[in-house]
Amino acid sequence: MTNVDCDRLVDYLNGTLSEDEIEQFEEHVKTCTECQEIVEATGELPYLADPVEPPADMKARILSNVFEEKPEQNNPPAALNPAMSPIPLHRKKSKPNIWRPLIAAVLLASLLGNAYAFLQLSDQDDAPETAIESIELQPSEAFAGTATAEMIQEEGSLNLVVQANQLAELDAGQVYQVWLIKDDQPIPAGAFSPNPNGEGASYYQLEENLSEWDTIAITLEPETGNELPEGEIVMSAGI
Amino acid sequence: MEKSTDTSLYLRISEQDKAALEQLYDRYEKILFSFLYKMLEDRELAEEALQEVFIKIWRGKGVYDESKGKFTSWLFRMAQNTAIDLIRKRKKPTVPIEEAAQMASNDTPVDVQVEWQEKQEQIETAVQRLSTEQQKMIDLFYFKGHTHETIADMCDIPLGTVKSRIRLALKKLKTSLHGMQERGAYDD
Ligand SMILES: [Zn+2]
Repeated sequence: MTNVDCDRLVDYLNGTLSEDEIEQFEEHVKTCTECQEIVEATGELPYLADPVEPPADMKARILSNVFEEKPEQNNPPAALNPAMSPIPLHRKKSKPNIWRPLIAAVLLASLLGNAYAFLQLSDQDDAPETAIESIELQPSEAFAGTATAEMIQEEGSLNLVVQANQLAELDAGQVYQVWLIKDDQPIPAGAFSPNPNGEGASYYQLEENLSEWDTIAITLEPETGNELPEGEIVMSAGI
Repeated sequence: MEKSTDTSLYLRISEQDKAALEQLYDRYEKILFSFLYKMLEDRELAEEALQEVFIKIWRGKGVYDESKGKFTSWLFRMAQNTAIDLIRKRKKPTVPIEEAAQMASNDTPVDVQVEWQEKQEQIETAVQRLSTEQQKMIDLFYFKGHTHETIADMCDIPLGTVKSRIRLALKKLKTSLHGMQERGAYDD
């Protein structure tokens, strides 16, 4: 242990080295078996933690922040994560007739079950006030999944984060599509396909107000990129 | 979902492959969140730290290659350092968002749970072989992120020997873990 570099091991693990020193030490580790082994053993310590259930919507929040992280806070709307199947935002005026009765039926069955939470948060940096509404979507009959939508209203934009669980596997090409609906006019608002654990999440940003929408719904679409719903509604809720 | 694909995922991430980052996120969300929660004792701070970790990975701050050892060691070290930064400039707690929208997420896949449990048993056994003072030092140093000065105070030992005692504790930990590995406690 006469090696000066070995002395830095503890500082390295304690995060007190400068970037240059970190680089130097990492070079040292490559040639010093003992430091290497201690670093690796330390890497087992996190397993001492007892499992804690992460918030269900954390993934969508974090991934959207990671992918949208920019020096300036002036993101264009609808900048999406391709891993979650981006759909270009095009509005169409045509009105599908199948839409109204389906939604009405699903909503009727589920209206009482809607969980609402509404709160005002103010950011510590005196950021504009943020309103968050959390909505539990109600599955339609014979659908086993669950989903929560979080609508985060910030000045000038609406962020929609949807997190779903217990989803069945999809056929190739299929996708779960999120829609925001106002007066029977749906617009696509994010899409996702489930991971092997049956979880899916989407994130969408719009330059509109929360109050402009009356319904949120998820359909099972035969393909990505549909501008109007073709598939059946699997979950929905009033806003 | 083999462990060996961590490196290939990481390579894809360095080419800005979002799907790869999402896969890596899914794989380590729960252990990282649990670990960060153990360190920070606050769900919102743990989320903040976790986000910071993935921003660092996405932006290529801190580069991993196999010469730096196991990917998880590298990942956990980055998480631990991020948490320490937060501890050292700990902010006033804010209203946790998830309290408003608490919902149990899906169960962790069984194989991940089993692996975690096995590793937890091993590391617990290894830690129990340390003296009480050594256990306390590892907790203060690694999980609580305390400085040498604070540890010297709390453990009532001279500042000059804090580092060497921590090193000794970690070395003993390493030896115990290796002993268990050689006896086939590890399945690989
Ligand atoms: Zn060394």
